[in-house]
Amino acid sequence: MAVFTTHHPLINEPDSLSPEDTLVSKRPAWRRKLLPILLQAGIGLLVLGAIALLLSNLQINLLRRGLELSFDWLGRPARFPLSRGLLPYQTEDSYAWAFAVGFANSLQVVVVGLILATMLGVIGGAASFSSNWLLRKLATLYVAVARNVPPLLHLLFWYVAVFLGFPAARGSVDALASWLRLPISVEFMALLIGLTVYTGAYIAEVVRGGINSVPRGQWEAARSLGFGEGRTLRLIILPQALRAILPGLNSQYINLAKNSTLAIAVGYSDIFSIANTTFNQTGRAIEAFVLLLGGFLAVNLLISGVMNLLNRLVLQRG
Amino acid sequence: MADTPRPGPPPAQLLRRLRRGLFSSHLDTLITVVLAVVCGSGLWSLLHWALLQADWAVVQDNIRLYFNGNFPVSQIWRSWSWLGLLGVLCILTLMPSRLLPPAMVRLLPLFWVLILPIGLLLLAAGLGFEPVKSRFWGGLQLSLLLTLGTILMALPLGVLLALARRSSLPLLRWLTTGYIELMRGMPLIAVLFFGQLMIPLFLPEGWTFSRVLRAVLSLGFFMAAYMAEDVRGGLQSIPRTQLEAARSLGLSPLLTVALVELPQALRTALPALANQCVASLQNTSLLAYLGLIELLGISRSILANPDYLGRHLEVYLWLALVYWAVCILMTSLARRVERSLKVSDHH
Repeated sequence: MAVFTTHHPLINEPDSLSPEDTLVSKRPAWRRKLLPILLQAGIGLLVLGAIALLLSNLQINLLRRGLELSFDWLGRPARFPLSRGLLPYQTEDSYAWAFAVGFANSLQVVVVGLILATMLGVIGGAASFSSNWLLRKLATLYVAVARNVPPLLHLLFWYVAVFLGFPAARGSVDALASWLRLPISVEFMALLIGLTVYTGAYIAEVVRGGINSVPRGQWEAARSLGFGEGRTLRLIILPQALRAILPGLNSQYINLAKNSTLAIAVGYSDIFSIANTTFNQTGRAIEAFVLLLGGFLAVNLLISGVMNLLNRLVLQRG
Repeated sequence: MADTPRPGPPPAQLLRRLRRGLFSSHLDTLITVVLAVVCGSGLWSLLHWALLQADWAVVQDNIRLYFNGNFPVSQIWRSWSWLGLLGVLCILTLMPSRLLPPAMVRLLPLFWVLILPIGLLLLAAGLGFEPVKSRFWGGLQLSLLLTLGTILMALPLGVLLALARRSSLPLLRWLTTGYIELMRGMPLIAVLFFGQLMIPLFLPEGWTFSRVLRAVLSLGFFMAAYMAEDVRGGLQSIPRTQLEAARSLGLSPLLTVALVELPQALRTALPALANQCVASLQNTSLLAYLGLIELLGISRSILANPDYLGRHLEVYLWLALVYWAVCILMTSLARRVERSLKVSDHH
């Protein structure tokens, strides 16, 4: 029995306080070892049983609808139109290609969105430390308003109220598209701006927290060396704050990627909207869902991978 | 911060403060002037539009729809009285606790748990009322009902998941870790889509849930994963000496968790959990695209009415205001709870 000897369970295993190791426990050793195994076997059987039951229900239900699980339909022509995107697409193309186009569209809005949201967030976060009263108050106002309105409403506001409501706004998107020679649609712009404004407010909070974590003495030292406000921030404060900012940024980036599926509200053909249309046309709910999950797994891993790389670079340099 | 001038400072002092805050250098002056011009003209055109060009009839004529949805008009008092009860509860919670009888203060958490069943009784049926089917529920009332239901489901589930993720049983740990990471990796709309369209595929024939229940279940399972991570963060922040103290007092593991670990963990996790509660409210808006007529959904059907053609800006600004107000209310409720917990800590 482990009672405050060198084999102290609390010190050896910080995270596990098993019921059998406590002072008051007077159970024999075989029970102490056997009980967890039995308990886990019970849990395992319960979970397996539940999964088996659900899967058998699924099979019965799918059989009744004549939709056995298969991915053969991926080769068939999709026959639904998509909004203009980076990859070429015609309605005779296969479902598989439609999913690829949707994935590329998602990736496009996520990558551009996280660059813009980072810029907006850094400006917003840094502005709340400005000596300028108006700038400070505006930064606070922006964060307070943008964070407390659902992201979906952001998108609808930009899409329906701004881009569809004002022909001038639509015209400027077309002008931008022809100037950059990129297939930029109004839907893409609405999604991009909505996601940027919403996520930017969260990033501003992350940046503000990071800047707060830098000791005040750094500001004062920079000032006494004759650095101006902007240069202090850029050269002294932000590089140090980066350590505290990066982990928070990672989760905001993943949130942005997940919120990009709200594209369905503005009619942008992202991977979720392709999965949804596919389901409506073919009834292949499970298969479409699996493809969607796979796509998201890839995006999340990509973001986390890049952020971990950045994090390592920052830690090495600092 | 010396931003707001105290009552009646001498004009010279005020001027000096203005100069320091707004015009301390050339760049500063430039920023101030540009921002003032941009904000001023923006505010001016917004006011001009809101007062002269906007037609607020789309909001005024449909207040009932925004708040109560399609609830039968003859029974609408039930819907209003639930919203009223909720409002009274918010006011009671926000009031300084010394103005309330101590018994009341102690019962407040219970009232917050009871408000959901009371709402269901009032809105659905029971108490001898005429039953109202859940497809007639809508508007802000449905959004709040979904939010409350989600929180009341996700919080206990999240606590259990967090404890299980720290369990000494490897199988339990793996299963919960897998669940939490899978949920956190998925977009919410995919989870809701799964809940609304695919749950029926996994159930035996003849089993059905109402849309509202399916929505609460999917939102609850989704939020529980996020709350579990916040609670886990709280659990990790507890100093080990606390556990050793509990053990040397002879507390059983179950009691240690219930009396020592969880109260402290939840207190630490409270700000993060409050953010999740606000997110739960925002999340309900997604259900507008899955056939529920909550606040955003009912607004979509109002906008589809030809009488209100092109009144999007008015409706969206109004919705933004309502969502913003409820979010701010939830945040201040959370701050109040946080403060009262801190106060009781000192006694």
